[in-house]
Amino acid sequence: MVKTAKEINIPLNRAEGDLEIRVEVENGIITEAWSAGTMYRGFEAMMQGRGALDGLVMTPRVCGICSITHLTAAVEALDAIAGITPPDNARRLRNLALMIETMQSDVRQTILMFMVDFANRDAYHDHPLGQEAAARYAPLAGRAALEVIRESKRLIQALAIIGGQWPHTSFMVPGGVTSIPEISKILQCRIIVERFSSWYEQSILGCSLARWQAVRSADDLDAWLDENPAHRASEVGFFIRFARQAGLDRLGKGPNRFLSYGGYPLPLSTAVPGVGGRLAAAGCAQGTVIFPFEATEITEDICHSWYEQGTGPLHPFAGKTKPYASGQSGQLYSWVKAPRYGGEAVETGPLAEMVIDGNPLFQDLVSRSGANVLARELARFVRPAGLLTPMMTWLEELVAKREDSFYDPVKTIPDGQGAGMIEAARGALGHWVKIQDEKIAHYQIITPTSWNGSPRDKDGVRGAWEEALIGTPIRDINHPVEAGHVVRSFDPCLVCAVHCLQKGEHKGTLPIGLNR
Amino acid sequence: MKGFIICIGNRFMSEDMSGLLVHDRLRARASLPAGVEVIEGGLAGLNLLPLLERGGRVVFVDAVRGFTGPDEIVVLDARQIRGAKSPVHFDHGAGLPYLLAVLPAVCEGELPEEIFLLGLEGRCSPPTLERAARLSLAIAAYGMKGLG
Repeated sequence: MVKTAKEINIPLNRAEGDLEIRVEVENGIITEAWSAGTMYRGFEAMMQGRGALDGLVMTPRVCGICSITHLTAAVEALDAIAGITPPDNARRLRNLALMIETMQSDVRQTILMFMVDFANRDAYHDHPLGQEAAARYAPLAGRAALEVIRESKRLIQALAIIGGQWPHTSFMVPGGVTSIPEISKILQCRIIVERFSSWYEQSILGCSLARWQAVRSADDLDAWLDENPAHRASEVGFFIRFARQAGLDRLGKGPNRFLSYGGYPLPLSTAVPGVGGRLAAAGCAQGTVIFPFEATEITEDICHSWYEQGTGPLHPFAGKTKPYASGQSGQLYSWVKAPRYGGEAVETGPLAEMVIDGNPLFQDLVSRSGANVLARELARFVRPAGLLTPMMTWLEELVAKREDSFYDPVKTIPDGQGAGMIEAARGALGHWVKIQDEKIAHYQIITPTSWNGSPRDKDGVRGAWEEALIGTPIRDINHPVEAGHVVRSFDPCLVCAVHCLQKGEHKGTLPIGLNR
Repeated sequence: MKGFIICIGNRFMSEDMSGLLVHDRLRARASLPAGVEVIEGGLAGLNLLPLLERGGRVVFVDAVRGFTGPDEIVVLDARQIRGAKSPVHFDHGAGLPYLLAVLPAVCEGELPEEIFLLGLEGRCSPPTLERAARLSLAIAAYGMKGLG
């Protein structure tokens, strides 16, 4: 008997209400999906007419989790307009701050937001590892859940040193940075990073960074799991074992196209190796076939978004954000625009970074079975393994070169346009800025969640996680944990909208939201 | 006892900006009572934890919904904050109940002796914001006794 249930709102827990996902389910399989951002932010309009430097103060407040991230994109756009390359020490400090924020986000998202669902006894009461998962990840009680909060909060001390204050630092300015830490403070940062690294090796990986980096294929991964009980018992080892038994390597394929702007511009003189002047390569990929990145290929389609319709998809330097939420009922269903690269929907995030940067393990995983929830979340969880060593090198270089410049003066921001395109924790983030008469004439932001959570485009092509949901089996429509895994593996970023204390339970259809 | 006033919220969302408007009023004062520190907590969420490991008295100032009438102020203690909403899950929008629930298990410094929330309901008028600023200082300095 064919059972069809149309337009079901996926009733996940942890409601916030600014993302709604509707699906059609036939015979227990998702056959259609629509992802709707339900809140208009209007950030672009808010920025127009403000002082040229205001983006440095305002955009870090876009997101409570990605404050440094937005600051970095904003300052890089202004650097580009001013035509300046920041001094090496400024690059080191900027990179370190962004890496700290990224690592903190990586371990928290994986354990507190993703693996917490492994502890869901309604969904996994019959999973062989369900009881152990509850002991590790149960909210407010699980061993790993508490440990990750304890260990990751210490990283804030390093951010406070680098940024000169915490919270809400705006230490990055066009031409460099405003904070020049004393040697003793840099050494203090090193101790904090070393301590995090030790914990990450011991608890998350169960092995050294070097041993993990030697895992270069799916076969290597199996061998690594069997090599040592500490590997199997580690959080990564447990994640892999649980996820395989839950079939997460068969869920959430997505568009099979990837985009990365490339992570962390390198100082001109550094011992850290990179590709094309960055720690990680920029590019796009069809499966594991990689193509060079072309910024001109980015457009935003608004055919299914609640905006005043124009002539067609526009590059973000030409993009318009005029809300228009009436008419064309049904066709328009999201406040999120539909960014496209070369006219196509793409996935961005840690898995895209790994594939495009040529990481052999993730290239092998994707070439064997395409993108999937396991590979996507594993990429997020192990990303710090590739960041910690460069971080230590840059801290050592800062000590050695403390007397070198941290700032090249930029007196005014000239008329012009520039883009700050960086890799945020969730993937490709861009700020496109035009300055005229020392004021902001144009500001467009495309966040990673816009890429991954976009609605359909003019050709009716689904966004990345809309596509990833197709084919997802739902065992129990009342507990659609499988759909939750798919969407959460992209880590949709909450808007940081209205978080005020609300009396009583606030029930909604979704736990997650969008950041624009 | 030291007093920490932590103003939280989103400066760009009118429904959630009251705490930060109070912050701006406190910052504009020529001086603060001895031992009282004012912090713009913004949207820092879990990253506020280090600010809660310094003992003393902590007064959060934030927007609330459903506690009292519009443009009015409510003062809650830690037990009432935790009881207002299930704190179980951490997500991108984790709020004060989660923060306070997890704090004892992860604190590596000195737990606050007292925690209060000065809540502002709905959009608040300038006189209410000013009153909230005065009250936050009084509570930070003297606890509930500061309310007279």
